[in-house]
Amino acid sequence: MSVQNVHASEAPDRSGEGNLLKVLPGRLWRSIFRTRIIPTNELERSKSVSDNFFFHIHSSKVTEHTLKPTTTLGLGLFTLYTFVILVITGVLLMFYYVPTVAEAYDRMLDLRGAVFFGTFLRNLHRWSAHAMVALAVAHMVRVYLTGAHKAPREFNWVVGVILLLLTLFMSFTGYLLPWDQLAYWAIVVGTAIAGYAPLVGDEMRYFLLGDFAVGGEALLRFYVLHVVVLPAVLTTFIGVHFWRIRKDGGLARPKPAPASTIPTPVLPDQAKE
Amino acid sequence: MSDPIEKPEFERFPLKQGKTYGLMCVVDAKSEATQIPTEKQVQAWPNALIREVLLFVVTLLVLSLVAILFDAPLEEPANPLHPPNPAKAPWYFLGLQELVSYDAFWGGIGIPGLLVVMAMAAPYLERKPGGEGVWFAPSRSAANWIFIIIMGTLGILTIIGSLFRGENWAFVVPW
Repeated sequence: MSVQNVHASEAPDRSGEGNLLKVLPGRLWRSIFRTRIIPTNELERSKSVSDNFFFHIHSSKVTEHTLKPTTTLGLGLFTLYTFVILVITGVLLMFYYVPTVAEAYDRMLDLRGAVFFGTFLRNLHRWSAHAMVALAVAHMVRVYLTGAHKAPREFNWVVGVILLLLTLFMSFTGYLLPWDQLAYWAIVVGTAIAGYAPLVGDEMRYFLLGDFAVGGEALLRFYVLHVVVLPAVLTTFIGVHFWRIRKDGGLARPKPAPASTIPTPVLPDQAKE
Repeated sequence: MSDPIEKPEFERFPLKQGKTYGLMCVVDAKSEATQIPTEKQVQAWPNALIREVLLFVVTLLVLSLVAILFDAPLEEPANPLHPPNPAKAPWYFLGLQELVSYDAFWGGIGIPGLLVVMAMAAPYLERKPGGEGVWFAPSRSAANWIFIIIMGTLGILTIIGSLFRGENWAFVVPW
């Protein structure tokens, strides 16, 4: 039976029959998703995961241990979701923000006074950012204390450490953008630390700020890092992080019970003797 | 009875009439597939996906509620001529700022750099298998304690830097 026939047996293709408009919705759905909205058997359930670009990061089956909320506490997913919320609110905020010394602070006041839901948007972005840092750290603690960083998942742990550093840098670059006293002096203090590095400290600080002090150049650099460079890098590493979970055989879990508890199958000619 | 192994295979496993297949041989060895018990698995759709959607709804609701109840801080416009005392980094760097107040290089570069290297090396140093996917596995207690002590120290430093440091980075009590 060819692949096409397998598809046909699940959701019969009647595109040749009947009224063109009547069959159009069904055809359209099938052409995009290949499966029913609510799958009716195990094969269709598997295919609705493996055939979907967004779902196929999952294997089509997961172990029951993976679903136990007490093992993961959902911390990795919570971290991802704060990032999703940050991207959405962040893009909306970009419509109102101008990364210049003259305008940045005024735009904050506009968000508070003139933009519909502006205060809510800024609040949600701000608190999600804090939440993302805290959740990423909590996720790291969870992974270590449940031994989920051990072989064969070593490198995914390293990717996780990179993700944490990127998250910190993401949050730090965003911290400057409101251009108020809190933002300005936090970045002055934070970037001063870069200057303490031996030999290259001052060069590193200059590279980060584009100047000897925090000013318009630093604001522009932090803005570009915050809205383009870091999100792109972070998204890529998140993809790698998730892909590797699949490739390493799902989430870490205890080895199944030892083989001795499984009865050895009796072969026909052994049974005779 | 002679050892059946000595007979040729076509005699030991004769093709029965009407069958197009026969058992060719029996290998006396452990089979990977039969010795490893199957894990209990469930379909990702809907078991995992529905939980994931639920978690997103929870995240969105909780953060929206926080965003409605608490306003993000906005102070006076940035003024390079009027530094606040003390000027503090974002909360997640206050542990580092606390360390920097003791020693600039070790607090700002040395210790954080070492911590990152140690974190990345951790899974390669811990080679003994066991304890995967279990909280506080007894076989890993040494590694766990080291981790808890490091993270706890960072946490305490962060709390000191956030709440217990006032003007000129002097020790203050927040209440």
